[in-house]
Amino acid sequence: MFKELDPILHSQLRLAIMSLLISVKEAEFTFIKEKTNATAGNLSVQVQKLKEAGYIDVTKEFKDNYPNTTCHITQQGIKAFEEYVKALQEYLKVGQSR
Amino acid sequence: MLILKNSNMEDETPLSEQESLALIARMINKVKCDYEESGLSTLLWGGVITFCSIVSFIAFEIDKPWLYNVWDLTILAVIIQVIVVIRENRRKKYRSHSDAIMGGIWISFGTSMFLISFYASKFQIPHANALYLIVYGIPTFATGLSRGFKPMIYGGLACWALAIASMYTQDGYTFLYSAVAAQVAWFIPGLILRKRYQKAKSGNV
Repeated sequence: MFKELDPILHSQLRLAIMSLLISVKEAEFTFIKEKTNATAGNLSVQVQKLKEAGYIDVTKEFKDNYPNTTCHITQQGIKAFEEYVKALQEYLKVGQSR
Repeated sequence: MLILKNSNMEDETPLSEQESLALIARMINKVKCDYEESGLSTLLWGGVITFCSIVSFIAFEIDKPWLYNVWDLTILAVIIQVIVVIRENRRKKYRSHSDAIMGGIWISFGTSMFLISFYASKFQIPHANALYLIVYGIPTFATGLSRGFKPMIYGGLACWALAIASMYTQDGYTFLYSAVAAQVAWFIPGLILRKRYQKAKSGNV
């Protein structure tokens, strides 16, 4: 029986954000924007969705007198990401054996 | 490797399994490629320790003990190092998992060096340079291994080999070993890191 792919992660931009955040301890919003080539508006929406799901934490503070948003992945996010990758691999394994 | 149709990721079209895995790999790789150390700290310490060691050797040869005060330069180097770290941290847009670990290792190293210097001067221990070289090797080897940076792995090993040699060499001459260690462990790797950093920076413009 196949595990259903997590709908929160199974979207291009949200998966890209999570893949970046799993590789680092924390990242600024501008860094994520630069690496994903997404618009600030769309990125904000997707970051908010991930935050609501409990997959990432968002910290807003001031850096050199400018507002700065930092994101980091939570334990729940790491677990969800690992399960998502595992499920993907299972799908691909079956696809190859057919 | 699959190329994703939509590279700006604005589209909410569902991904295929292959596309998802390709996207994950691509993003992880982007972070890997972005990570470049400036090499300033390694160059600074490589230069300062080499200079102080050579001056100390000259002090030993011409018997001018006041020249040993050259090691006070390390206090100035610590101040410069703090400024460099603060500036680099301010510029960095992300923190890697190993940043905190590496920071901890190098702060422990700095504290240990300070305590060993104090201990060595208080009790006049013989072949003190061997002790310093052993400690030089620890953060150098650890950094090289964790970053997969071979020049620092060899640098760390060289420090330990020179530490053994120091145990069998007359004290004054061991300053030359310290100079060699500073070059091999820090200055040369620092030059390599700096070159990589400038190359990566010019590539990002």
